[in-house]
Amino acid sequence: MGETGFNPLRLSGKKFFISGAASGIGRATCILLSKLGADLIMADINQEGLGETAKLCKSTDLTVMMDFSQSGVIKEHLSKLVPLFGKLNGCVHIAGRPYISPLKSINEKTTLEVFQINTMTALELSKTFANRTISADEGGSIVFISSVYALVGSAANVGYSMSKSALHGITKALSVELAPRHIRVNCIAPGFIKTKMGDNISHFFAEGHDDKISEMHPLGMGEPEDVANSIAFLLSDMSKWITGSIMNVDGGFTAK
Amino acid sequence: MENFYNEIAELLEVDSVTGSEMLNSFVCWDSLTILSIIAHVDDNYSVTLSAAEVNDAKTIDGLKNLVVSKKS
Repeated sequence: MGETGFNPLRLSGKKFFISGAASGIGRATCILLSKLGADLIMADINQEGLGETAKLCKSTDLTVMMDFSQSGVIKEHLSKLVPLFGKLNGCVHIAGRPYISPLKSINEKTTLEVFQINTMTALELSKTFANRTISADEGGSIVFISSVYALVGSAANVGYSMSKSALHGITKALSVELAPRHIRVNCIAPGFIKTKMGDNISHFFAEGHDDKISEMHPLGMGEPEDVANSIAFLLSDMSKWITGSIMNVDGGFTAK
Repeated sequence: MENFYNEIAELLEVDSVTGSEMLNSFVCWDSLTILSIIAHVDDNYSVTLSAAEVNDAKTIDGLKNLVVSKKS
């Protein structure tokens, strides 16, 4: 911000819902949005992680424990919270579950669980947000987080890829459907980010895998803040003419 | 664990296996099959294995013993 106080990313007075707020990209996003002046409802299944995130945000930001493997939780909570908190200007679905499995070991039950958290929750969040009792009268912004693996192929990732590429279809369809309401819908497809979720699946791979992954990104692996910056842009009025876009935030992963 | 041999046989793309068979003797033994075993054991037995541990198990029974030991 310069001496004039001009800051087109300022979000004071704006209210947002963030899923997956307890760690990684979700935590970095909450911290950034809070610093930019936004008021937040931060949700995750991990109560301890949520508490840690809350300590790094404004004291007025809300936390709520939600299990996104259960359908209906978002509507249930937001219909109670929003009348007290105020109508929302946007929402971001960051919560996600990885699923590493080659085709021959893919499990239908696990695949559907992954699809529920990564994809169906995004749809439920959109439906809830788009309701006039939840979203601000002037419209708003919905942001999804997919993956480079929704754009390019990768062995042993079919279950995860299908859950994330479906978000691209949702983005395109809803951007058209919700445009008359001035609700923009966009999706960020991140490359590999150094997060706990990544650490949790590292046991699947042989030694040296991290170095190989890093080499796939011309700018190296990303930080959660790299994605958070793009989310703030898509929530702000700086992106008011952007909808239906899939933004690659991947350090050049898909440029090669 | 009663179906363990049948489950592993499917992942190794053969009709049946015996406990003493070497894992690396199967035609389909490669990094994707190792990943398949890790994913299957995680899904069905809630046991977390690394690629190195699967390789070090050497045999079908070595793999079974590994899963049993980490499950208990």
